[in-house]
Amino acid sequence: MAIIHAEKLSRTFTVHEKQPGFLASVRSLIYRKKIIKQAVIEASFDIDEGEIVGLVGANGAGKTTLVKMLAGIVHPTAGTAEVLGHQPWKRSNELRRRIALIMGQKASLWWDLPAADCFLLLKEIYQIEDSDYSQRLDYLCQALGIGDELHVQIRRLSLGERMKMELISTLLHAPKVVFLDEPTIGLDLTAQRAIREFLLQYREDHKPAMILTSHYMDDIEELCERILLMQKGRIVFDGALEQVMETYSPNKILTAHFQSGVDPERLPTAETLPGQVLALDADHVRLQVPRDGVTSSAQQLLVSFPIADITIEEVEIGSVIEQIFRDGHVKDADR
Amino acid sequence: MGRYLRLYLKFVRFSFSKAMEFRLDFFFRVVMDFFFYGTQLAFFAVLYGQTQELGGWDRSQAFVFIAGFFLVDAIHMTLFANNMWMLPILVNKGDLDYYLMRPVSSLFFLSLREFAANSFLNLVLAVGIFAWSLTQLSSPIDLGGVTLYLALILNGALLYFVLHICFLIPVFWLQSARGLGEIFFSAAKYSERPERIFSGYLRRALVSVLPFSLVASRPAQILFEGADSSALVNIAIVTPLAFGFLLWFWNRALRSYSSASS
Repeated sequence: MAIIHAEKLSRTFTVHEKQPGFLASVRSLIYRKKIIKQAVIEASFDIDEGEIVGLVGANGAGKTTLVKMLAGIVHPTAGTAEVLGHQPWKRSNELRRRIALIMGQKASLWWDLPAADCFLLLKEIYQIEDSDYSQRLDYLCQALGIGDELHVQIRRLSLGERMKMELISTLLHAPKVVFLDEPTIGLDLTAQRAIREFLLQYREDHKPAMILTSHYMDDIEELCERILLMQKGRIVFDGALEQVMETYSPNKILTAHFQSGVDPERLPTAETLPGQVLALDADHVRLQVPRDGVTSSAQQLLVSFPIADITIEEVEIGSVIEQIFRDGHVKDADR
Repeated sequence: MGRYLRLYLKFVRFSFSKAMEFRLDFFFRVVMDFFFYGTQLAFFAVLYGQTQELGGWDRSQAFVFIAGFFLVDAIHMTLFANNMWMLPILVNKGDLDYYLMRPVSSLFFLSLREFAANSFLNLVLAVGIFAWSLTQLSSPIDLGGVTLYLALILNGALLYFVLHICFLIPVFWLQSARGLGEIFFSAAKYSERPERIFSGYLRRALVSVLPFSLVASRPAQILFEGADSSALVNIAIVTPLAFGFLLWFWNRALRSYSSASS
């Protein structure tokens, strides 16, 4: 059964349009042009226990608003959702004890206190039993490699250490649903990797449902089997990560290595090759060919040229998603 | 209830830990409030230099009234003021998110999480001024009267908080926090003046829709003139209504909270 269920969930915001300049400012005191911005449009999906779902989209696509509606922070303007059987924006304590949110760009811990003190406050807020508290804190500290840093004021910790503390504070009450909004933002590669490994381990041990938003494709690739792709407030794709390739990557990469010692005149030129040439030299050729024409292109290469070895690869997933964001739209036919 | 008390004690403990970190600020706040009390007392001393009676009260009664207001102010500064100062900023920046995620009343959390340890010393000072003002009273008072007065002053502190936060809540719709606090502090001047110097609609408003006169003036009146049932009923009706309005207003405001993009 789905732990998170959203049905036609929508949120609009009213913003005022203001022209630049002093006169426009004076005019805006009397008249303001209102613009209705549709942040999320009819989002529908289900997420099960133990799933880590990547919420992917460009800035302003509606990811954070969607997460905040599911976390009960923002009310929807239409549609409905249930998280662990509760409407999140009703903010029942029963639900809030079982969910958690971490935002890479916002600190939840008290800046001037050591993490250990912050955790004690959270213990009281979440009414965590003494034995559970010690056991979970030990587990989380061990998994994240935290030791004496527990007793250092938050503001004196490095960004990576702070994020680990945020993760501990987020998971101390053993939530069944975790919303991770850019948990690795700004961290160095080592810290990013450590957090990814920890999240996978935590999923293995506790089976929560997690929604992850991140602009780092490594996060998405390593943590999520399924992604929700958002564009201009709409979910334009919901499926396995590999499926993104079939839907949004019309091409594959075909690489052929030539036999050694071949007469250079027998080698192909760019014009004679069946596909878009990405690289060509005396040793190999690298082509981008349409997905449905891969077999015929490979056959044509094998027949026409002295080929020693041939490989067919998918375009890197990160590049595909980045391309989708760069283009700024998904083809209407794909919706 | 016990849970909230335990939680509040934790807030107090951590607030003291934090306050001690910043020694200069700690002592500066004490000195600042000391000047505020001095200015208020001097204001009434000057007024009574010109007249024998103001709003039906003589000089000694006016000092008890103003000492009562100091108690309200010190309670407000210690328990609520820092939180009230932060609220519009948190709303404006979209930083309420984590507070709304915690399984406790968001109103409780956001109103009481910062205990102003440095204002706590001013509370002690205000109690001292209040005790001194009672010894200066020209007419005798009994212990029962003082006890009732203190209870009404605590009620006044609650009303003062309700009024303060109700003036700030519009930030959820206006987005800009500028001016809301200043409007409250201008309006709050009414609670520093005897109710009887006002008349007509304004006086009626000050004991009903904007009950600033119920904060310190009406309790002082009850102390000097005895527990008039209509005055007590007025307080007993307005306080729960004001608190009920706050709960409704708060929930409406949270529905409009739009957070901020990350």
